[in-house]
Amino acid sequence: MFSKQKPMWGEKTQLKSSYDAVIIGGGLHGLATAYYLAKEHGITDVAIIEKNYIGFGGAGRNTAIVRANQRTQYNVPLYNEALKLWPILTKELDYNLMFNNCGNLNLMHSEAAMKAARMTIATAQFHGVESHLIDAKEAKELVPALNISEDITFPIHGAMFHPPGGIVRHDAVVWGLARGANKYGVEIHQQTEATGIKTQNGKVTAVETSRGTINTKQVLISAGGYSAALIYGMLGIKLPISVLTIQAMVTQPLKPLLNHVVSSGAYHCYANQTLKGEVATGAHMDQWPNYTTQNTAHYIKHQAEALSEFLPCLRGVKFMRIWGGLADMTPDMAPIMDGNDHVEGFYMDCGWGYFGFKSCSAVGKYMAQFMAEKECPEILKPFNYRRYEKHQLMGETAALVNYTPDN
Amino acid sequence: MALTITCPICGKRNGYEFRYGGEDKGPRPEEAGLTPEAWCDYVHMNKCVAGVQKEWWFHKDGCGSWFTIHRDTTTNLEVKGPEADK
Ligand SMILES: Cc1cc2nc3c(=O)[nH]c(=O)nc-3n(C[C@H](O)[C@H](O)[C@H](O)COP(=O)(O)OP(=O)(O)OC[C@H]3O[C@@H](n4cnc5c(N)ncnc54)[C@H](O)[C@@H]3O)c2cc1C
Ligand SMILES: [Zn+2]
Repeated sequence: MFSKQKPMWGEKTQLKSSYDAVIIGGGLHGLATAYYLAKEHGITDVAIIEKNYIGFGGAGRNTAIVRANQRTQYNVPLYNEALKLWPILTKELDYNLMFNNCGNLNLMHSEAAMKAARMTIATAQFHGVESHLIDAKEAKELVPALNISEDITFPIHGAMFHPPGGIVRHDAVVWGLARGANKYGVEIHQQTEATGIKTQNGKVTAVETSRGTINTKQVLISAGGYSAALIYGMLGIKLPISVLTIQAMVTQPLKPLLNHVVSSGAYHCYANQTLKGEVATGAHMDQWPNYTTQNTAHYIKHQAEALSEFLPCLRGVKFMRIWGGLADMTPDMAPIMDGNDHVEGFYMDCGWGYFGFKSCSAVGKYMAQFMAEKECPEILKPFNYRRYEKHQLMGETAALVNYTPDN
Repeated sequence: MALTITCPICGKRNGYEFRYGGEDKGPRPEEAGLTPEAWCDYVHMNKCVAGVQKEWWFHKDGCGSWFTIHRDTTTNLEVKGPEADK
């Protein structure tokens, strides 16, 4: 990974003492923002500062689900644009992102959930996003392996079917964006930890790193689950975030049986079959904040129980690998994107919880616009930091209950 | 990862018996002169410390007590708080 060889994205360069913009975190959002800063705005004197290696964070740990059927009118257009960017980026980056638009089937297990789904579907349709309500029989036709009997813990009443969503190869997005950004001159510095942000008269002047001070007037913190601690530690700004470990696992490879992403809020479980045949499945988050990224027997058991109820053909199948990452959750299940508020030249892009993969393409584009024009683009305005003190929390929680650490 | 919590009444128990109650933020702010910013700070804002923090827990499947402990968020291990050395 850190060998003397040339990295996959391009040439290794010396860390300079100043850049037009510094990005803290070589994850999906940092890479995408740098790519668009260089490509769309001609701001190419950019350094990405990465403590470990690119893709170390959620970027390399997520379950790669993409979709645009969120609950609120602020979120849907952003995610819809992100969804539409996958085929475009595949061409632009000349990198196979393996977008498999197999569609998402979100199971509903009560009449109340069906009602909530109707609202969510109406929002999607209003914004021109394909999404339908289907009954249990139709769900069974889509996924014959589904157990629609009434004899399970949470019988299936129906589902929200969102055909344009699916899966994108997450590592390819990291590699493609890194190479794409580097082509325009963006520098990527791995094994470099940001340790502080220097300010003077309310303006950013420099970023302190484990390899020296970098002078800059603009800095973005997009360090995934580590952002909230960094922002508080460096600038004393507290965020409405709780950081929780979230786990995922894959089974042994099987013959094709699942051709849609299937998810269930009641079972706290979602699954899709990868192109290799493994069933990749994600679980609930830990119930208390922690940065361990460790796995628990609790969730292996939970996952096995849930899957063997609604996909009974998976009984007896073995899990091959399990891993954990961080989810930085906000009280309204929506991210925080802001800049030039507390300190001029300081931008933040965090609170992406377990949904920051599907958004990274569009967010990179708009955060780059924000940093280039120093004006918040309309589409990002609702995600501002001050919405919490104004009691303007977003209602993204409707489809998922019991997901906050406070329940 | 396994977590144990020490309840002041029941002693050391399995973490899943408890509900996390948030970072310790001191007493609830006075109503008089309360600004939306100060209220928001108390209700929503966190320090998200990667290290030792003082935090609230509720023994939901036990005696029903609310209490605080110190825990290292990078290891999930309960640690002695600064008060313990006094
Ligand atoms: C198990 C799991 C499943 C998920 N599933 C999905 C899914 O199906 N769909 C979806 O949309 N999202 C999913 N997510 C969420 C998604 O992965 C994240 O929201 C996303 O990766 C956030 O991107 P980011 O670029 O902000 O941060 P990350 O990708 O986490 O990158 C942050 C980077 O910052 C670096 N860093 C940290 N501190 C410093 C420092 N001091 N100096 C320099 N660098 C630093 C880290 O090393 C890391 O590389 C999942 C997450 C997990 C953990
Ligand atoms: Zn007790």
